[in-house]
Amino acid sequence: MDPDRDDAARLRRGDTDGLAGLMQRHQDRLFRFLLRLTGDEPMAEDVFQQTWLQVAERIGRYDAARPFAPWLFTVARNLALDQLRRLRPGSLEEAGEPAAPAGTDHDPLARAIAGQRSSRLADAVARLAPLDREVLSLRFEAELELSQLAETLGVPVPTAKARLYRALARLRPRLLAHAPQEEWR
Amino acid sequence: MSGHVSELLPLAAAGALDAREQAQVAAHLGACEACAREAAAWRDIAAGLAQLPASRPSRGLVARTVEAVEARLAERAERAWNRAALGFLIAFAWTLALLSWLVIDLVAGGLALRLDRPVGPTAAWYAAYVVAGWLAAGVTAALVGRRAQEQGRIV
Repeated sequence: MDPDRDDAARLRRGDTDGLAGLMQRHQDRLFRFLLRLTGDEPMAEDVFQQTWLQVAERIGRYDAARPFAPWLFTVARNLALDQLRRLRPGSLEEAGEPAAPAGTDHDPLARAIAGQRSSRLADAVARLAPLDREVLSLRFEAELELSQLAETLGVPVPTAKARLYRALARLRPRLLAHAPQEEWR
Repeated sequence: MSGHVSELLPLAAAGALDAREQAQVAAHLGACEACAREAAAWRDIAAGLAQLPASRPSRGLVARTVEAVEARLAERAERAWNRAALGFLIAFAWTLALLSWLVIDLVAGGLALRLDRPVGPTAAWYAAYVVAGWLAAGVTAALVGRRAQEQGRIV
């Protein structure tokens, strides 16, 4: 039995142990995704909490025949994009102010441990548009397969593929512009 | 060399190619050093993206979230219980109202016999009785609901 399906069924019956199981398995990558997409820790925390509230409210609409993660990330994505749209007058497809590189930017020790190279990559990602950041985070950090990525974005698979390609193509020049010789080449 | 596959390399590193495209890339990389170098660079970027530094949700955030969800679930359970109780009470009230038809009919017939004259149409008496009963129940429900809301409880 798929543990997500099992826990979703328990949550549907109002059993909070079901929620505990789902959170334990998905909270880290969900939070990472929200940090990456919003580029703002307080906003990510707010959306994180709202996401689980909506999951509890709408668990009856979750189709247990399908994987849980894309449904969860769809809920989170919609909430995050609503918040970003309220705060950003411009298009989410355009890179605006660089987002804070998610997570360890104000923690020098963690930054040192993560390494300069990784930090430069995080900085380059933070300079991308929100919709590019989300597709990269969903594929590489949340590890959604292409079909799950398409489901989460609410687009056909070829469109998801095109968005993934576009995000990567936009990332590379930003990386090369700030990287030392030989890195990422 | 003709037929470079540079356009496919970012997606190859992302594991997002279909079988035909994968075969095309594999065949080309064996014969093209430039594309092989490019593929290695993209693989490097993909590996880096999978290991970007990132915070985990704090214990406080997780605890607050669990608390908020538990409160929401309790609220939902209470609403469901209230709906079920209300449905039962409505069904019970209608049953009583229909059964009381027999009583009213009997009382009105007996009264007419005792007074030795008709007391008016029984159906009208019955309708007045039902309307008065429902009005009283409605007013009581509204008053109870208002009081519960003032106390900050869920109705």
